[in-house]
Amino acid sequence: MHIPDGFLTNRVALSLDAVSAASVLYVARRVKLSASGRLVPLMGVLAAFALAAQMLNFPILGGTSGHLVGGALLAILLGPMAAMLTMTTVVLAQALFLQDGGLIALGANIFNIATVTTLSGYAVFQALGGPRSQGRRLALVSGIAGWASMMVSAVSCALALALSGAVSLHLGLAAMTGYHALIGIAEGGLTAGVLLFMARVRPDLLRSAETERFGGWDWLYAALLVALPFALLAFGGSSGLPDPLQRLLTGTIVPSEAPEAGQALDSPGRFLDYTVRAGVFVVLIAATYLVSRFAQVRRRGQ
Amino acid sequence: MKHNFIDRYADLDSPLHQLDARTKLVGFTALIISVLAIRPGSTFVFFAFFFLTAIFMGISQVPLGYILGRSLVLLPFVLLASLARPWRGGIDFAFLSALIMRSVLSLIILVLLTNTTRFAEMMRGLRKLGCPQILTLNLGFLYRYVFVLTEEVLRMRQARDCRSVGRAPAKVELKILGSMLGTLLVRSFERAERLYQAMLSRGYSGDFPVYGSRHFGWRDLVFIVALVPFVLIAFRA
Repeated sequence: MHIPDGFLTNRVALSLDAVSAASVLYVARRVKLSASGRLVPLMGVLAAFALAAQMLNFPILGGTSGHLVGGALLAILLGPMAAMLTMTTVVLAQALFLQDGGLIALGANIFNIATVTTLSGYAVFQALGGPRSQGRRLALVSGIAGWASMMVSAVSCALALALSGAVSLHLGLAAMTGYHALIGIAEGGLTAGVLLFMARVRPDLLRSAETERFGGWDWLYAALLVALPFALLAFGGSSGLPDPLQRLLTGTIVPSEAPEAGQALDSPGRFLDYTVRAGVFVVLIAATYLVSRFAQVRRRGQ
Repeated sequence: MKHNFIDRYADLDSPLHQLDARTKLVGFTALIISVLAIRPGSTFVFFAFFFLTAIFMGISQVPLGYILGRSLVLLPFVLLASLARPWRGGIDFAFLSALIMRSVLSLIILVLLTNTTRFAEMMRGLRKLGCPQILTLNLGFLYRYVFVLTEEVLRMRQARDCRSVGRAPAKVELKILGSMLGTLLVRSFERAERLYQAMLSRGYSGDFPVYGSRHFGWRDLVFIVALVPFVLIAFRA
């Protein structure tokens, strides 16, 4: 689900960067105000937990396997704000140090993976009466919360890709939601399994860490985030949902399809010409690499 | 156990390594934005960027195989995803090659950024660029403990594999995995609690001091000035 650089247009990616930056600044301020010092190492260690937990794969169907993303789980345990910050840390570390997701697409990935999963998981868990439920009911409710968090995140990811013209809206939505309906089973099952285990072994930890309450400004913040995709859609027109997006898409695609692009490889002579040129370029680039590398070695040798 | 450390070549010594982390964060980000702004079909601009990254790769002394390996990993995914694009009238060769070159170039730049900047430097740079302290603190804890927790996961997985033959039904498997993750989570909570006690007993008062780092020097100026023409041609083309 991590979007690499190159799939989003700069306009989409940078506007999501701005949105995520504002969101993270708000959340960081919120958590800092409410956080006991205890929460500081806890969030960091749980971020490491989320990263390490990805090594445990759960086989689903025909070769695909899912792992715990943890947005919903952390939101249930820590509350949405601290969970969002923890997941943001995970996404940031993945982009900066594992090249998992791009640098310019970072805002989009923070939005899809950290913000959307925690908020939607928390909302579903609260709406279904999660905090008061126990045993089977707790398993069911948290399972649904985990599954729903993946689905909402998949939809938001498909929307970002479609707005950039990287995929068509229908195909993107169908592929992403279909795939994540499966992956979400693992997420939901693992969220439920972990919570049941915690309830049995250390029930005191279940809600001890949630220090903050979701207050007035937070609702405004969440409403703004929810309104964002619809605002983006409304940009393209005023009628129903898919239609303006479609128009927006065709608008972005036309300029890239230059009229002569299809004729680039039509005759064998031109193909040869292109191959020779590409070969010359590759040799030149390799030479540049070698020269700069050895110039550097000689400088260090002195 | 052996780890693939995340900033593996960041301890080398080269002009790129000696730059201020802020310079590299801003400069490389600007480069990636420029790469993504190049129009399909402007071949020479793409090659200009390949030259630039070749120079950087050479200067940085990071092994070439490592950089290329990390950058080409995504290629199958890119090709697969390009199939989902709304193609009109056959495959647009110029667009496809632009997509591939853009993602390879931006990955090379990202790998270079990661592997020429030590973790502590990167945190300092992020902090000075306005990233909230609580986020860089989190990243610091993540960097210190992800290896510890990964080792725990590997040990647990090994123990499970030793005790089980074949595959259990999905429901049992899910329960086992849930317990493993739950154990890991409980241990993480307890570790965080011990950490907090340790921090308190060492005088933690809600603030983490940051020690001095590299300064913005003539190298940084040269680097930034050298990038300007590339950014300009990317947006002009």
